[in-house]
Amino acid sequence: MAEIIFGSNTMQLLIALILVSTFMILGSTRLYSCIRDFGIQSFLLACVAGTVAFSTGKDEIYIIAVLTILFKSIVIPYFLLYIIREIKVKKEVELYVKISPSLIIGGMLVVISYYLIRSINVISELSSFALSASVSLVSIGLFIMISRKKAIMQMLGILIMENGLFLGAISLTNGMPLLVELGIFFDVLIAVLIMGILIFRINKTFESIDTDLLKTLIG
Amino acid sequence: MIEYLLFTPILTGILCYFTRSRRQVETISILGSLMTLIFGLSLVLDVYRNGIIVTWQNSLFADAFSAYIVLIVSIISFVSSIYSIGYMGHEISHNVIDLKRLKMYYVLFHFFVFTMLLVGVTNNLGLWIAIEMTTLVSALLIIFYSNKASVEAAWKYVIISTVGITFALFGTILTYYAAVKILGETGDALNWTSLIAVAGQFDPMIMKLAFIFILIGYGTKAGLAPMHTWLPDAYSESPTPVGALLSGTLVNCAMYGIIRFYSIATKSTGPEFTSNLLIIFGLLSLGIAVPFIILQEDYKRLLAYSSVEHMGIIALGIGFGGVYGIFGAILHMFNHAMTKSLMFFGVGNVLLKYGTKEIDKVSGIVKTMPMTGAILLIGGLAITGSPPFSIFISEFTILSSGFLGGHIIASVLFLLFIIMIFAGFFYNLSKMIFGNPTPGIIPGEVSRWTLSAMVILVVFVFVLGFYMPPAFYKMIMNVVAVVR
Repeated sequence: MAEIIFGSNTMQLLIALILVSTFMILGSTRLYSCIRDFGIQSFLLACVAGTVAFSTGKDEIYIIAVLTILFKSIVIPYFLLYIIREIKVKKEVELYVKISPSLIIGGMLVVISYYLIRSINVISELSSFALSASVSLVSIGLFIMISRKKAIMQMLGILIMENGLFLGAISLTNGMPLLVELGIFFDVLIAVLIMGILIFRINKTFESIDTDLLKTLIG
Repeated sequence: MIEYLLFTPILTGILCYFTRSRRQVETISILGSLMTLIFGLSLVLDVYRNGIIVTWQNSLFADAFSAYIVLIVSIISFVSSIYSIGYMGHEISHNVIDLKRLKMYYVLFHFFVFTMLLVGVTNNLGLWIAIEMTTLVSALLIIFYSNKASVEAAWKYVIISTVGITFALFGTILTYYAAVKILGETGDALNWTSLIAVAGQFDPMIMKLAFIFILIGYGTKAGLAPMHTWLPDAYSESPTPVGALLSGTLVNCAMYGIIRFYSIATKSTGPEFTSNLLIIFGLLSLGIAVPFIILQEDYKRLLAYSSVEHMGIIALGIGFGGVYGIFGAILHMFNHAMTKSLMFFGVGNVLLKYGTKEIDKVSGIVKTMPMTGAILLIGGLAITGSPPFSIFISEFTILSSGFLGGHIIASVLFLLFIIMIFAGFFYNLSKMIFGNPTPGIIPGEVSRWTLSAMVILVVFVFVLGFYMPPAFYKMIMNVVAVVR
């Protein structure tokens, strides 16, 4: 396992910025800014991948970085914006948990993730840092899914979780083999597309994308 | 061989899209699934004779276990495509759907079969990709009727399964990390064949964490409690042949993922940890199924909760371990797939005839549709584990392995739960089968296609209860050898 010596400071900065972008999503009440912040987060993630590629000299990670920029910070955000425009939803994120408690819970999740990762022995200081950021992203993504009403925010929550895993994979093992990474990319794209289709259907049948309405099947 | 097997359903799906009439699309669908079945069987035969097959730069492979999954998927998908002709034919002749939607149905059906076959023959942890693909394709099948309930079911299904599968990806990454430490950063570090050889040297702490994530992740897809909440909705709102595919094969594919990781994790953490987790989740699934089966009002959801129960039984079998436990669990995967699909086909006929999913509004099936009624009765006896049907054999094997292995409390609970489920399930089913027919229902079967699909499955349910062909026995023993 080659340790990333070069650019360790850059990495820490980037990972910290990724956490900041996550909190920006958590603290925002407008759908547009949530999506924009997700784009920024994905761009930062691509920078992490680029740094790893540069310091390990593995060319295939560059491909991953370019794909991340192309899809996660351009195509997917634009697709989400397209959905919002097409179905003319109200521009606010409707919340079950208000902004300030959300931010506090987010902070707590980061602390918990940090202690959780401390308890497993991981190779270096850096990957431990990156891994705890990754677990925080996964748990905050999950929290966003359950605390926001709009179906689009649940989609965004899943994407944030996925970004978290991407960060984890890249920091632990310098990324999975190329074929697997490409497969995951493909899956994420199709998933976004199909969730988009479902959101259109939800909007057509319920005339809203409020997930409060999707609570009839029980027992 | 593997390439042909994977290529056939894709080609069939594409061809279905370009057909012009109902007859054409049905012919192509049935021929396509017949070809899939033939390639599937010949793959099984090939593996049985020659052992492991690896092709396509090591990324596709088939050992005894993959062949077993391929066998289940190809049989169920073939039977289900026969059933679809009758079921969807009824829908189209009653103007519930039009030709365009019928074509779309068959396209998605065959793509769904493709993704499930891919789960079986992927040679690495990229299994994850295939399992996520099954979610995405089947979501479009669940939404098929596009009414409020099905939209809700599909959305829940996609969201819950995707989150679950994300956890599984985390488990996969951790496993890869453990493997890279030993094998170095090669593409091989994700392959089953190379993983299993060095699994003993993996860091137990990391593998414990990985196994928990994998169990929760794929467990969501397999419908293990308490992650099963999407399952009853998806089963009851999807078109019935799809319900049969979901319950017969999809959950088995997810179980396959869990069992693969179980064999890797056990080598590193020791059997104690993984077994206990599986026993806990298994018992939880059985326990949660009990009240929902007894108090159920919707017969498709009744079957769905029965699936939760049976996935619990498979998890228990693997958890009890030993040759008998694993043998029972593997056999149970096959038996459950056959019997549960049979039950789905049966209630599908009932749904077409009575037009309601409520148990209380259906009675006298045996008088309105004698064949369907009789088969439902057989299926109901079989699915609740009564002798002399196939599920009895596998449940009994698992139970005895539990007692032999010293898991007394778990085995007693297991026995208690299946007795309660037997009572609850049969109480509900007999209300539907016997009694006077609901007024206004014209007697007569729905279609010959649906009946012939059911008869094929009844043969499996019956014969495996009495007699296990030596080749089939040896095949399962080969799978057990792979798992242990």
